[in-house]
Amino acid sequence: MHNSTFGDSSPAVRAVAWLSGILVLSACASTPPAPTESLVAARSAISNAEKSEAGRYAAPEVGEARDKLAAANTAVTQKDMTGAQRLADESRIEADLASAKTAQVKADSVNAQLQHDNDSLVDELQRKSGSQP
Amino acid sequence: MSTTSNLIPRQSTTLIAAAVASILLAACVSAPVKPPGAAEARNKLTVLQSDPQLSTRAPAAIKQAELAVRAAEEPQPDPEIAKFRVYVADRSVDIATAQAQTSLAEDQRKALMQRGDQARLDARTREADAANSQLVNAKAVIAEQKGQADVARTEADAARLSAADLQRQLDELHAKPTDRGMVLTLGDTLFTSGKSDLKVGSTVNLDRLVAFLSSYPNRDVLIEGYTDSIGSDEYNVDLSQRRADSVKSYLMHQGINSQRLSATGRGKSDPVADNASADGRQQNRRVNVTIANAPVASR
Repeated sequence: MHNSTFGDSSPAVRAVAWLSGILVLSACASTPPAPTESLVAARSAISNAEKSEAGRYAAPEVGEARDKLAAANTAVTQKDMTGAQRLADESRIEADLASAKTAQVKADSVNAQLQHDNDSLVDELQRKSGSQP
Repeated sequence: MSTTSNLIPRQSTTLIAAAVASILLAACVSAPVKPPGAAEARNKLTVLQSDPQLSTRAPAAIKQAELAVRAAEEPQPDPEIAKFRVYVADRSVDIATAQAQTSLAEDQRKALMQRGDQARLDARTREADAANSQLVNAKAVIAEQKGQADVARTEADAARLSAADLQRQLDELHAKPTDRGMVLTLGDTLFTSGKSDLKVGSTVNLDRLVAFLSSYPNRDVLIEGYTDSIGSDEYNVDLSQRRADSVKSYLMHQGINSQRLSATGRGKSDPVADNASADGRQQNRRVNVTIANAPVASR
């Protein structure tokens, strides 16, 4: 009976073994997976913003979105998945803001150009009609 | 028992303590501390929602911003989560504002383009009007020039016609071109011998002359009478003069202005044939009508 390792162990020893097993498992479960979906979404949002020339029209926002994404990736390597999730989400929304601002700046500049063209046209017309009796 | 000089009964103390505790709790519940920054996000959103030009635009983004701000306003013990929610709320409001502004700009663009189109249309209308009036002027000028050209052409046609006509009529008169003009020789058959009266029925050639002179009122005529060598010079000059006058008077009676007509008696001078023969003398008895060349080409 004594040559068996566990067969004759006391109930207290068994309980400790079970507990430590559970602890190891729960430690594994408490480390969440990397927020892959959010990271992909952030990268995609930055890419969309860059396609719309946001680097030119909303440079600070694009810069911040990139910084946040980099920080999110760093957090992943540091196993800080909660922080990574938030940073990735912040990066995505910042990139979306860059796109929205770019669209607004472009729309405004188109309007300004139209306004300028109209003004020139009206000026020219007035000059023409002024030169004619 | 005398030691318990407390005016407030024990039960009351318990009640007060409970009340104070409940007030403290209620304070915690009814006035939770909003995470810092949430109020700013709410203010920005309120500005957007109360802008009559923007509030109806980008409704989806505004709704999402509203949800994000509400989430940020919830009390959050974890400052990291609170900070995250405020961040998301702030950016959501900014996105909604940018989208609404973009939508407004796009609507304004339509008006701007219409204004531009209208201005261009006005310009084109004005140019067209100007061009049209220039066209009208040009047409008037062309019409005038054309009129002048027509007149010139008519005149040229008339001149050509009259030249051809003249030639034909002169041909009919058997006129001969000379330096002084076309010379028409009327033979002595016009007159009875020794007389100056025109023979009846001998005026066919003269009538052609009248027609010619009527058509060409700028041609003057010199009428010269000639005789043969028989008889005295005085008699011959006188006869030739009377015969020339006779022709002149006939032409005047036919309506030719006398100022265009001059008549002279040349007597037996300038014979065209030999007076020795009867035939020659007959040729010498004649009246020459010289139709002067046109004074100056009527251009």
